[in-house]
Amino acid sequence: MPSTVLCTGKATYKKQNGTLQLTNSHITWTPDGKVAPSLKIPNMDHSSLLCSKVGAAQVKLKLVLYSFSEGHTFTFTNPAPVATAEREQFKNEITNYISRNRTARASGQLPTDAPATPATTNNFAAPPPRTPTIRPPGGTPRASSIASDKSGSGNDVADYQLRKRVLLNSPELATLHRELVMTGQITESEFWDGREHLLSAQAAMENQKKGKSGQLVDPRPQTVDGEIKIVITPQLVHDIFEEYPVVGKAYSENVPSKLTSEEFWKRYFESKLFHANRASIRSSATQHVVKADPIFDQYLVKDDDGLEPRKPVAGDVEMFVDLGATAEDHGETGNQGDTTMQAGRQKAALPLIRRFNEHSERLLKSALGDGPSAKRRRLNDSNSMDVSQIELDDLKDSQASEGIALDMKNSQRYFESRATSEGDTPVQVSVPQAFNELESCLGGWERSLTHFTIDKKAMEAGLASMTSNVKSRLEVKTKRKEIPENLMRQMSTCQTAANEFLRHYWHSIYPPPSQASLPLTETLKNQRAAKAAKMAGYLASTREKVEAIVKAAPYEKVDPRRVELAMRPVLDAVNKALAFQRNRIARGGTPNPQTPR
Amino acid sequence: MDRSSHLSVILDLCPTQWLLSAQPSNPHPLSFDTFLSHLLVFLNSHIAYKHENSLAIFGALPGKSLLFYSSEEAGDPSTAEVVQPDPNSYRFFKTVDQSLVRRISREFDILGQPDTEEPCALVGALTKAICYINRLLHPAQSLSSPEDSANLPDPRILILSVSPDASNSYIPIMNSIFSAQKLKITIDVCKTFGPDSVFLQQAAYLTGGSYIYLEHREALLQYLVMSFLPTPSIRKIITVPTEDKTDFRAACFCHKHVVDVGYVCSVCLSIFCQPVPVCSTCRTKFPMKTLQRLNMTRASSLTGTGASQPSASRPTNGTPAKQVYTGLAANLR
Repeated sequence: MPSTVLCTGKATYKKQNGTLQLTNSHITWTPDGKVAPSLKIPNMDHSSLLCSKVGAAQVKLKLVLYSFSEGHTFTFTNPAPVATAEREQFKNEITNYISRNRTARASGQLPTDAPATPATTNNFAAPPPRTPTIRPPGGTPRASSIASDKSGSGNDVADYQLRKRVLLNSPELATLHRELVMTGQITESEFWDGREHLLSAQAAMENQKKGKSGQLVDPRPQTVDGEIKIVITPQLVHDIFEEYPVVGKAYSENVPSKLTSEEFWKRYFESKLFHANRASIRSSATQHVVKADPIFDQYLVKDDDGLEPRKPVAGDVEMFVDLGATAEDHGETGNQGDTTMQAGRQKAALPLIRRFNEHSERLLKSALGDGPSAKRRRLNDSNSMDVSQIELDDLKDSQASEGIALDMKNSQRYFESRATSEGDTPVQVSVPQAFNELESCLGGWERSLTHFTIDKKAMEAGLASMTSNVKSRLEVKTKRKEIPENLMRQMSTCQTAANEFLRHYWHSIYPPPSQASLPLTETLKNQRAAKAAKMAGYLASTREKVEAIVKAAPYEKVDPRRVELAMRPVLDAVNKALAFQRNRIARGGTPNPQTPR
Repeated sequence: MDRSSHLSVILDLCPTQWLLSAQPSNPHPLSFDTFLSHLLVFLNSHIAYKHENSLAIFGALPGKSLLFYSSEEAGDPSTAEVVQPDPNSYRFFKTVDQSLVRRISREFDILGQPDTEEPCALVGALTKAICYINRLLHPAQSLSSPEDSANLPDPRILILSVSPDASNSYIPIMNSIFSAQKLKITIDVCKTFGPDSVFLQQAAYLTGGSYIYLEHREALLQYLVMSFLPTPSIRKIITVPTEDKTDFRAACFCHKHVVDVGYVCSVCLSIFCQPVPVCSTCRTKFPMKTLQRLNMTRASSLTGTGASQPSASRPTNGTPAKQVYTGLAANLR
């Protein structure tokens, strides 16, 4: 490939001396005494750049790549002034590529994700080649590749990476994975069987294109050892120039004629200009740092807080988004004016709001390209008062259905069936007698009220039962966190492991609907039976594990009965599965429960 | 915290149930006149508890429901019962006691001695109680002054129930519960006689009230005072007894078994103990494939439960086997 060499320099990489060279397509590093470069990175892969401080003992340059986020560090080996000059040259050129890459990636023209191809002549670790993980939506091929029972399917690198990231994002799943798969109790593919949705969600998330960050450039000072510092990277400089053209203008006019680059930034961050360019209403604590600066103050402009923005709004404002459009509705007709959305009521916020607006507009332009966007064009073409403009497609329910009307047949039965199933037959009583009795009871109420007594025994019994009721609830409330963490962890580990085995067991017995439709071959049958047997084997040991924990409980000063009680549901579930398995074997080893009998 | 409180009491006055309750064959017989004495003491303590406390008493009589007494009515000379002054008793107590008993006895005079008993109008009484409280909470605009809003009574309803659940009142009771929830009314239930009432259990559970099944019935007053005298606001500090367990299991619609694992119609939420091709409630037809799959699952799990005796005869298809898994009833303490 014919390529122009932009700059070269002597630099060490991984403690080896060599030559760093930047061409218009690649950056290469060739160790001393070799001809072929051992490191070759396409310029399209540059993501960001970090430099050591000017005047530092070593002149370093760190290049971070899209495909290798740890980056490569080069140290320039020539004597200081030469090394710095070389580094500056590299810095300027690479910064150009980086900003070009950013815009390219942001606008979706993702360059082919070509992996960095290191020449294999050398023995140092090259960045691992990365297979693109872009897959067709839906991820069906992957799902099936997992479902096919290939144990040890580590061959699909993308799958492996995807799984790794899922585990990294979910510590609980990672713990389970460590306990079951790393110890060899179940295989990798078995573990992921039934968890395909996690993988496809992860894949979908990763495939989402990231645009330019919407954050307003706002370097924040950091306090290091009592000194207030702002770390300036070449990238930050580029971003500042882009965001605030006036700073770029100041830089080009003053550096290096009046100020050095370092002085420029130092004075800039102390100047009024920097504080005028702030992205938030900062506390006044930093205000005392601000000094009058003869150079920067001439670039200052008045705060943009007039009634009209300094930069005129381009074009007509859409009627439906114009807050002023309804102004005429208020006033004379008697309607109260809009008190909630008054433009510019808080004057101090105006410059900020306008800066945000400009920033958003710039961002939108960078994402959509310059010309009027498809949407804008559509809106401009139609009549500006067309109500269809404010109809949002997203809010339309395209699949609205009438629903199924609930048409209850013999509703009496429905209500009857709710009756309690207390089966005792009603005692036959004479109704007139009952009425009579009740009425007669009413006669002597005054007398019985005067002679009112309560049976002492019954009262005490009632009091005791109610007190115990309250007490037991109180105990539950106050003694919740009694089980020490160590024991608790053992219990939960045991429980999650048993659950996982149960899941696999029942999964093999009753395959999910998606797999139930697969043709039932003999091998599949045997595979399932074998898996079920294996899981049953693991499940059988659950009882021992639980007993061990129960035995350990007294040492932790926990009532073993509580542990037993807590673990009982798991044991019940395990026992049910084991009983089922025994029964299946007893039925003559027909491993397939689906055989109609 | 200690605000004035409103209590609406609903008396279940089902004559046959009260007759059964008083029968000496019961382990703890409780006759209506004893009950009345306990109740009157309780009502008087509620009035004595705080001067601003208000009271309303509703009756659920066979076939009708009505308001027996309300503090509002008693304060108005045009509607109040004429009560003979009694030097031996506090006038407010006397007013409540006498008006209540007089009203009950007047109603039973009207009812006479019919040959059949209509079901008790518990729903009517409950609805009236809720309406009454709603009126208290939302006084007419012209009468309300700003200070009233701070003085709103802390309303609750106490149901003293003796009759068993009437199945056809399920939906109205549920609707009353929802209204009560909306008005933030606590419903307390004291099951004085008869089997546990599922509907009222739910009413108490859903409104944050307490449900008490009267064990030692002679000590009714003890239960009333301990569980139902503290107002809802005070119950944040004083724990009152309530039931330990609430059974949330449902009964299937087809055989009325209480089931742990049921099959639910996706349209009307009817519950069945076995997969059915057509929902008996809403006539929705279910896809054949789903049915086969469910049946398959069920058939093998049935054989699974009989595993303790491997030689047991194979269950024939279609026999509804009752699967009871223990430990599913939620223990709500």
